[in-house]
Amino acid sequence: MKLIKKSNGTAATGVAVGTPGEAIGRRTFLRRSGLTLGGGAVAAMLPPAMMRKAEAAEGFSPKAGVATELRRSVCTHCSVGCGVIAEVQNGVWTGQEPDFESPLNLGAHCAKGASVREHGIGERRLKYPMKLAGGKWQRLSWDQAINEIGDKMLAIREESGPDSVYWLGSAKHNNEQSYLFRKFAAYWGTNNVDHQARICHSTTVAGVANTWGYGAMTNSYNDMHNAKAMIFVGSNPAEAHPVAMQHILRAKENGAKMIVCEPRFTRTAAHADHFVRIRPGSDVAIIWGMLWHIFENGWEDKEYIAQRVYGMDEIRAEVKKWTPEETERVTGAPEAVVKEAAKILAENRPGTIVWCMGGTQHTIGNNNTRAYCVLQLALGNIGKSGGGANIFRGHDNVQGATDLGVLSHTLPGYYGLSEGSWKHWARVWETDFEWLKARFDKEERAGEYMGEDGATDGKPLHSMHNNGITVSRWYDGVLEDKNNIQQRDRIRAMVFMGHAVNSQTRGPEMKKAMEMLDIMVIIDPHPTHAAVMNDRKDGTYLLPAATQFETYGSVTASNRSLQWRDKIIEPVWESLPDHTILYKFAKKLGFADELFKNIKVNNDEPLIEDITREFNRGMWTIGYTGQSPERLKAHMEHRKTFNTTTLKAEGGPLDGQYYGMPWPSWGTPELNHPGTPVLYDPSMSVAEGGLTFRARFGVERNGVNLLAEGVYSVGSEIRDGYPEFNDQVLKQLGWWDDLTDAEKQAAEGKNWKTDLSGGIQRVAIKHGCAPFGNAKARAVVWNFPDPVPIHREPLYTPRRDLVADYPTYEDRKVFYRLPTRYGSIQAQDFSREYPLIFTSGRLVEYEGGGEEQRSNPWLAELQQDMFVEINPKDANDRGLKDGQMVWMKTPEGAQIRVKTMVTRRVAPGVVWTPFHFGGHFQGQDLADKYPEGTVPYVRGEACNTAMTYGYDSVTQMQETKVTLCQITAA
Amino acid sequence: MAKMKFLCDAERCIECNGCVTACKNEHEVPWGVNRRRVVVLDDGVPGEKSISVACMHCTDAPCAAVCPVDCFYTTDDGIVLHDKDLCIGCGYCFYACPFGAPQYPQKEAFGVRGKMDKCTFCAGGPSADNSDEEYERYGRNRIAEGKLPLCAEMCATKALLAGDGDMVADIYRQRVFKRGGRPQTWGWETAYKAS
Amino acid sequence: MPMRKLALALGLTAAVGLTGCWEDANVTVHEPGQYKGQKDPLLSQQASARGEALKKRFQLVQADR
Repeated sequence: MKLIKKSNGTAATGVAVGTPGEAIGRRTFLRRSGLTLGGGAVAAMLPPAMMRKAEAAEGFSPKAGVATELRRSVCTHCSVGCGVIAEVQNGVWTGQEPDFESPLNLGAHCAKGASVREHGIGERRLKYPMKLAGGKWQRLSWDQAINEIGDKMLAIREESGPDSVYWLGSAKHNNEQSYLFRKFAAYWGTNNVDHQARICHSTTVAGVANTWGYGAMTNSYNDMHNAKAMIFVGSNPAEAHPVAMQHILRAKENGAKMIVCEPRFTRTAAHADHFVRIRPGSDVAIIWGMLWHIFENGWEDKEYIAQRVYGMDEIRAEVKKWTPEETERVTGAPEAVVKEAAKILAENRPGTIVWCMGGTQHTIGNNNTRAYCVLQLALGNIGKSGGGANIFRGHDNVQGATDLGVLSHTLPGYYGLSEGSWKHWARVWETDFEWLKARFDKEERAGEYMGEDGATDGKPLHSMHNNGITVSRWYDGVLEDKNNIQQRDRIRAMVFMGHAVNSQTRGPEMKKAMEMLDIMVIIDPHPTHAAVMNDRKDGTYLLPAATQFETYGSVTASNRSLQWRDKIIEPVWESLPDHTILYKFAKKLGFADELFKNIKVNNDEPLIEDITREFNRGMWTIGYTGQSPERLKAHMEHRKTFNTTTLKAEGGPLDGQYYGMPWPSWGTPELNHPGTPVLYDPSMSVAEGGLTFRARFGVERNGVNLLAEGVYSVGSEIRDGYPEFNDQVLKQLGWWDDLTDAEKQAAEGKNWKTDLSGGIQRVAIKHGCAPFGNAKARAVVWNFPDPVPIHREPLYTPRRDLVADYPTYEDRKVFYRLPTRYGSIQAQDFSREYPLIFTSGRLVEYEGGGEEQRSNPWLAELQQDMFVEINPKDANDRGLKDGQMVWMKTPEGAQIRVKTMVTRRVAPGVVWTPFHFGGHFQGQDLADKYPEGTVPYVRGEACNTAMTYGYDSVTQMQETKVTLCQITAA
Repeated sequence: MAKMKFLCDAERCIECNGCVTACKNEHEVPWGVNRRRVVVLDDGVPGEKSISVACMHCTDAPCAAVCPVDCFYTTDDGIVLHDKDLCIGCGYCFYACPFGAPQYPQKEAFGVRGKMDKCTFCAGGPSADNSDEEYERYGRNRIAEGKLPLCAEMCATKALLAGDGDMVADIYRQRVFKRGGRPQTWGWETAYKAS
Repeated sequence: MPMRKLALALGLTAAVGLTGCWEDANVTVHEPGQYKGQKDPLLSQQASARGEALKKRFQLVQADR
């Protein structure tokens, strides 16, 4: 080191320190960022296990001079569908490279995506089957585990019927496993089967599908490049869908105006042009408040409404009540802010709306989602590139698992539970319908279902046709008085296959239910919070499941594109892929031969491609029929030929097709339908991906025409609205003879959803028509509890003055087999003792219940504590400091111990926590209850332990976005 | 001559920590050592901005100037690297660095990385390129493979740019032009004033 | 008298204190010494030789095809 004094005159070549002001700025910057913390000090915190880890990890490092193979998969952490490129040496996953060829992420990853290689290291994974015996974890073999569990299940079936075993599936299954899981439950003989979609977007699917036909994202992340305005309501993509922000910010750079409407100033809001802060649970009010300005100023698209929307006048009548004063009284948003948002949307068309769980997880979630749809319909934004309802789904395959029916109220393809639906699938499965029916409990009970054939409310139903209990309330199926549950007996066995119970509310009650179960089976890459949050001593089984990087198959991104994953590595430790585990159970339970009739099985592993082909043969409703394994693999192979805005292949062997054939990809694979990039867009022919609104709700209502008027997709031979296609319609139109003889035979007496030859769809498309008809979207859903979406106060609200004006529903006796409370809870005033509104959300490093990420040191290090965001005012009122431990108590008696984060991100009166933590329960660290070597690096209270009662009036979605709490120093 | 530079576009950075985990993954950086971090200013209030920070590979690197054992060197495309055999872990470079880049893991934590550790621009260190030894001590050498730092290659929103300074500046200028705003080349004044 | 002393003392304290608020923009910078470590094979490769590859790579990363 030479010390040389440099004169200021030559500062250009020296270290630029700048003015003293800047220098101070830099120092504060370092202090704020925590960068001044010595590295050594941090390293001292390194747990001993990490040291071992550092050594062990060398076994997974890339080695010089060893051949490296590249394998392709898709990230398993959210619905954007980012391509993952893995470097594999001798079967070991040694590196990750950016997937620049993927048109969805163009090589990009967020923290989660950039860390997926850790799955292959998996030091904290569940390593072999285990069971809890006398309060101790014991290792056992797969055969032993399957035998013991199977014997108990068969005994329960004998004593209490098939409905007493609950099959809880996952949005982490790939499409093939999802489909197989739903089919498996059917062959076991129950509708007590569900998955996370129930608690993330069920109100979206119900609300949106009942508005215009399908319940999925209408456009794509990429199509947002074309938007002129974007409004995010209860959606925080910067943390929940970070790679989507690449497309969103690109849209913004293209000139789009960005509005964020949220109770919380999120990291997404930090990038917005306009921020509208609302009180949690006032979504309908804020949307109607905006629509009030739109109607008042005549900004609505009158021609579009006349041609393509039913019932807007009834909406108009409701919206009239939402004057700026009333909107401010309910939402807290002042007139100028609301009007500005409405003006931006009106002046910048097409615009898109994005919503997520901030909107869906409410007792009126279905009202919220329909209100969002109505706003877009009024602006004429649906069915247009750059417009649409871009509903970002959560998990990587929650769209696929929903489509393939891992739900208690439907079969794959949203066919519902009517006899016609069952018969359709029995034909696809080549299983005798009566045999299948005999697998179910035969008693008829009060119930309902809501599917393709409409709803039947209250009539007694055979258990095969009766909606099952939902995941949001499985524990009520255990705890509720037997006489109040619409099935033979209580739930006695729970199978959690890829489920995080910390995503469910009412922790203490859930714990009690767990302790009452005969057996609890957890099939997961990690033991999960479920394994430790209860005080069971026996009968808990842990079966190690492989992640999606250890198997292969198709996965559906939020934009309805299907992608094909390759297997990167063999399952680690003793874990097995989900479909293999299901085969083993089916064999034990005695229906494997029937279940796998048309699916080849090698060494207990069912052939994935055979499963894809099987659902291709039955999923006519939503066009999951064209995406054969061969076509999907070709799309992955040539993915660099797809345009990153339109997702259309430009040249190459797939010229004109859309990436991943976003459903519907009509007809058989041989029809080569390109997929539908934007739903309901009539500016293209149906054969090229265009579409109309679906004629799902009849042709007329009270003398009003429900079919489209004067609009039709390009090339349509019917130049007006038309009903859905069936054999009769084809005959009337004189198109019957366009069918081949074989098709005629299959199509006789069938419709576009049930014709297994695909002939009806083919001929409709040939004449430029959409197989499902051409109708209006309906702004009024007459079969729902609130046909016109209206505001209702949450069950736990601090605004007692609004309860009289906007009361919740009356309690219901039977709703998805269970009594459900509304008014009786809202009647009590908790707001004095619990004055703070409590809401929750996402952190970028974690996802869902967070087991995988909190067990991944690269991610866990970045978020080490569960915390609650609290406004400085509320903190000062309680004498609380930043970073202090506090108790959060909620009205049903639960309490959690967390750290404070004092921030203006939340408004006074509102507190927010992330929902990914687990491994603590009401103040207790459960680290010693995990099987050895599986404790996640980071543990914390699950916020939902303290979340309270409340369920959506159509889907039983849980109300996790608003309750009340009090916070005191711990 | 191309000079390698980092630039973080604060208008695009969403603080997703993708760059941080990409770095952890690529070089198996142990718990407690962060070659790259995301720093947030005005957290939770309007005006909130975040920037991803690591060693900026300064033109006149202050770390190299203060090093008592002269363990730093600069490649002719401007990447600042150091020799861990020479480094005595004194911490002078940490005080000299305007970006807080140098890290000091405990010796036991990670082989010989008891010495100072920092971002290498994914260019390894003074060992045979992409040898096991180089990986163990400095991490992967992507530059020798014709690739750029993984943090920037994987950035969720392409906010973090890494590469030839002129190309980085061009891309950034295009964005600023499109947005109609003023450039905010955070850190460039300090790091690359001479070039 | 004590008042004047006190005033002086106060003045001095203030003066000394205020010097803390002043920062010389002329800073001492050090020039690096000669690198004494092991030779990096990367140095024997001309940067211009890999420049083209890195340029192409940059275009790949930042391409919005």
